[in-house]
Amino acid sequence: MEFDLAYLARQVPALRAGFLLTIQVSAIAVLLSVGIGLVGACLRVMRVPVLAQAVAAYVEFIRNTPLLVQLFFVFFGLPALGLKLSLFWSGVVALTLWAGAFQVENVRGGLAAISPGLREAARALALSRGQYLRLVGLPMAVRTGLPSMLNTCVSLVKNSAYVSAIGLQDLAGVAFDRIASDFRAFEMLAVLLVGYLALVLSLSAAVRLLEHRLQTPFRP
Amino acid sequence: MNKTRFAAALLALGLAAGQAVAQQLPPLPQSIRDHGVLRAGVRCDQPPYGFRGSDGGFAGVEVEMARQMAAWAFGAAEKIDLQCVTADNRIPQLNAQRVDLLIATLGVTPERARVIDFSDAYRWGGSDLLVKKGSPIQKLDDVRNRTVIMLRGTTQALWFDANMPGLQSLRLNTASDALQALQQDRGEAYAHDAATLIVIAARDPSLRLVGEPFAIADAAVGLRKNEAQWGAWINAALARMKAEGLYTTWLERWVPAEIRQPYTDAFIKPRPTAR
Repeated sequence: MEFDLAYLARQVPALRAGFLLTIQVSAIAVLLSVGIGLVGACLRVMRVPVLAQAVAAYVEFIRNTPLLVQLFFVFFGLPALGLKLSLFWSGVVALTLWAGAFQVENVRGGLAAISPGLREAARALALSRGQYLRLVGLPMAVRTGLPSMLNTCVSLVKNSAYVSAIGLQDLAGVAFDRIASDFRAFEMLAVLLVGYLALVLSLSAAVRLLEHRLQTPFRP
Repeated sequence: MNKTRFAAALLALGLAAGQAVAQQLPPLPQSIRDHGVLRAGVRCDQPPYGFRGSDGGFAGVEVEMARQMAAWAFGAAEKIDLQCVTADNRIPQLNAQRVDLLIATLGVTPERARVIDFSDAYRWGGSDLLVKKGSPIQKLDDVRNRTVIMLRGTTQALWFDANMPGLQSLRLNTASDALQALQQDRGEAYAHDAATLIVIAARDPSLRLVGEPFAIADAAVGLRKNEAQWGAWINAALARMKAEGLYTTWLERWVPAEIRQPYTDAFIKPRPTAR
């Protein structure tokens, strides 16, 4: 079977819609999961009673269960508990919760890497714990944690393909649909690989730009 | 040239066997004979065609067809190697030579005909919609502007793509996901083979069928491309099953009397016209 460009051209509108949905789902989940990471890490580092333990339990729970099962649980399981999210938000929430757990650990790692001297200096200047985190800790932690945070974001974009399992017509969903109907697996899988590669490479480029900007104050 | 003539001769032989001398089957191809058993792919989750019986063994009308073919080909119904295939792996299983034929609720579509060959049709199969008992959906057109659940790659998915473009659809991978989604109101109707839905609706009083047939397709035996002699043998065997009235016997064995009529029609009556 040879590569059929004319066939591929006919599938462009559907694939474009799927691609946009993948970007949409991933972008929302990336932003929300970074938010969870920042807040969760602060709660843990500040040892806020109950909440710190809850964050730790959440991280352990998510990191030790398969994403596919979490996704099915959000889609099919939560309605039984009275929480019915739409198809789109089921996908976003599952991806966000998954990536959020890893981001908590990424930010926490960044905070832990800050030298004790800086922490003591902040205390000597009479900064409260909250002020220390806001003015010193998080800005430093995000700088050091950026590579691992990017790693999690890249995994999130790639894992967003799982949402096709609950029926979201993202890039992978559209392609799997066409493969099941037309048996043009070669063309469609090639599109999938190229599509996700382009997405991840642009994400990496954007983060490198951000990294460059964040390093500005430290350059001679 | 020689090859064409050979194929034509085989075809003629197949036709003759189908029409006039139903008892005489054409010679079995050597490649099939060499295995010593009939390697057939059947469904294991599609009652009453192919499913797991109460003893866990293969059961259903299409399984009977495969066993009958083994009996005619190798002299005993036990000379068979049955394998479970699913909707999306059956064609790859056939083309990877793991089985030599598919009797697996396989509908004839142009897309599939590109990658495999089909025998003559042995029955037709329509589609239907499963909805909740209190649903306002009474006919096919009522699903416009609503969400319809369907499985990827099914005849229903192709039909809705072609006939109701822009329809809201929820495409899932397994029948149990689809049923779960219907019960949780993720969609208002579940489109699938009528044969499958009849069984579900008969079992679950909270669901009902809409009952307007659509996307009627022939079901045929699937075989690899370029196996004309094997195709002719299969066609002759199918004609003989029909001539000897075997389908009726098998349907009586596997389908409860109260829902048997639509299945009998599908094997015996000509294919109706529908959208």
